[in-house]
Amino acid sequence: MIRPVLAVVLNTYREVVRNKILYAILFYTVLLVLTGHFFADVSLNQERRIIFDIGVGLISLFSVALCIFAGTSVIYKEIEKKTIFLIVPRSISRGQFLLGKWGGLFLAMTVVVTAMFLILLVQVKMLKIPLDVALFKGVLLVYFEVALLIALALFLSSFTSPAITAMLTIGFFVIGRLLPDLKQILFTKYQADGFRTVAEELLNVFPHFYLYVPNGHDFNGHTLSLTTDFVTWSYVGWAFLYTILMCSLILIVAAGVFRRRDLA
Amino acid sequence: MTEPLPLEIQKVHKKFKTGFLNLRNSVAVEDLSLSLRSNEIVGLLGPNGAGKTTTLKMVTGLIFPTAGRIRLFGEPVDRRVARARMGFLPENPYFYDYLTAEEFLHMTCGLADMPLAGRSERVARMLRKLDIWHARALPMRKFSKGMLQRAGLAAALIHDPDLVILDEPLSGLDPIGRRDFREIILELKKNGKTVLFSSHILPDVEDLCDRVAIIVKGRLREEGSLSTLLEQGTRNTDIEIACPEGRQDQLAREFPELDRGATLSGFRLGVPTDVNLQEILRRLVKLEFEILSVRPHRISLEDLFVTTAEVKSAEGKSADEKSAVETVADGKPDDGVKEDVP
Repeated sequence: MIRPVLAVVLNTYREVVRNKILYAILFYTVLLVLTGHFFADVSLNQERRIIFDIGVGLISLFSVALCIFAGTSVIYKEIEKKTIFLIVPRSISRGQFLLGKWGGLFLAMTVVVTAMFLILLVQVKMLKIPLDVALFKGVLLVYFEVALLIALALFLSSFTSPAITAMLTIGFFVIGRLLPDLKQILFTKYQADGFRTVAEELLNVFPHFYLYVPNGHDFNGHTLSLTTDFVTWSYVGWAFLYTILMCSLILIVAAGVFRRRDLA
Repeated sequence: MTEPLPLEIQKVHKKFKTGFLNLRNSVAVEDLSLSLRSNEIVGLLGPNGAGKTTTLKMVTGLIFPTAGRIRLFGEPVDRRVARARMGFLPENPYFYDYLTAEEFLHMTCGLADMPLAGRSERVARMLRKLDIWHARALPMRKFSKGMLQRAGLAAALIHDPDLVILDEPLSGLDPIGRRDFREIILELKKNGKTVLFSSHILPDVEDLCDRVAIIVKGRLREEGSLSTLLEQGTRNTDIEIACPEGRQDQLAREFPELDRGATLSGFRLGVPTDVNLQEILRRLVKLEFEILSVRPHRISLEDLFVTTAEVKSAEGKSADEKSAVETVADGKPDDGVKEDVP
């Protein structure tokens, strides 16, 4: 039962890593990390903060861009190019197919994120900046963010076109990142009435992407930084559990939507 | 306990939603029933837009019937276990162009839930069997149409399925390719497999199939063994006789009801099916004509196909005119379909 899923995982991974655009974006990332190097040079005694924050921030930014680029079109391409005709008639369910697609994209993104992180570590080493465990926590959160974003993109692409999927994915992502601020606005602008309750509940439905932001806010609204007061391992563990739960939920709903779709 | 049939299609309908706000229904398949027995080759025929590809897509679980039931080996088609025993070659198969043929076949082994052990041998055997071993390491974007068709068939057969469904398998192949495919299809039958395939190449269908089903405008119009269908269509019998000069007038007098004409070696009499052939032969012998040959004219599959398609198409048109229902091709990828407004 696992073999068909693994076949889709491997194929999706190959599709993403053999796509030259990915390499171009990776190259671009390298350039931007080097730009961080430049800023570190011109800053006064702030190299560590600049390199850590810009480095992990850029990894997060480019990972999100790559996820949206690859994740929003991956199902559409299978249907449009009719390659799905070679998969669905076999002994694989549509849910397993989606799981395989998620696994393949996540594997490819893991490789990309790891590659970018290694480049960052080299840069840290070159600048003789002492390593900090916060850096690893920050990158772990990027992996979780990527996993959730891929699941979201796959869910949306199971019933819409790539353009709409991309717009909705970006919309969900932005709202997900700004959730604490949006809730704050609700608290300050509206009384505790029915509207505020409904709006709050609605906001809770959006994936909590703000959890993965290394230089944003934690659960309690504290400002965090990789070089000052970063999150605990327990926070990382809870974020991991949240990611697993949300990815599962989203993929189950996506499988339900995709199960009865005509692939004509 | 009897083994369930490889394929049962029962009263299947398929409508597609089309038009602005999906308010129009395009009828692609109507009340279609067809069963395949074990170890037979069945040809699915029909003009363009008849509903063949739609039918095959429903059978393979790519699309779902609006009504009716499809079972593979007694299981509903949307169950994995049902599809595990089926191999499918789509029309003009599309491939991942970044994969080599070898990688692609390894992937299909995985999709078929085959264990890792033995996969490489199976892949190599199929590549050799389909004569694409030499191109195993080439990306498939560099394959010719015939090579792609071969790779598609290799993928369909890689897990040794009991039911093989082929959508236009012979299109785009050169004569050698067609011969190879025909041999493989016959070999499948020899090995106890069941094959359903659609084709426009009627001589191949005639050579290969035990039964044919002809679909026109989404409905099954003819179905049966080739010998029965073609027997029903026997037209007339030609009797060729040696006819010396001066005896042609005698023939005209004796057999005014028969079609007559000269041939290279004598004279031909055409005996329709409603005239007693034995009686004509007896009279010819009595009149001392030398009989050179007696040749019954059977309808060919092509004749049967064209007649069925034309007659039913004309019937369909008049029915459409009566009900003032507009007939429009809906732009779905493969099938032209009838449209009605709900």
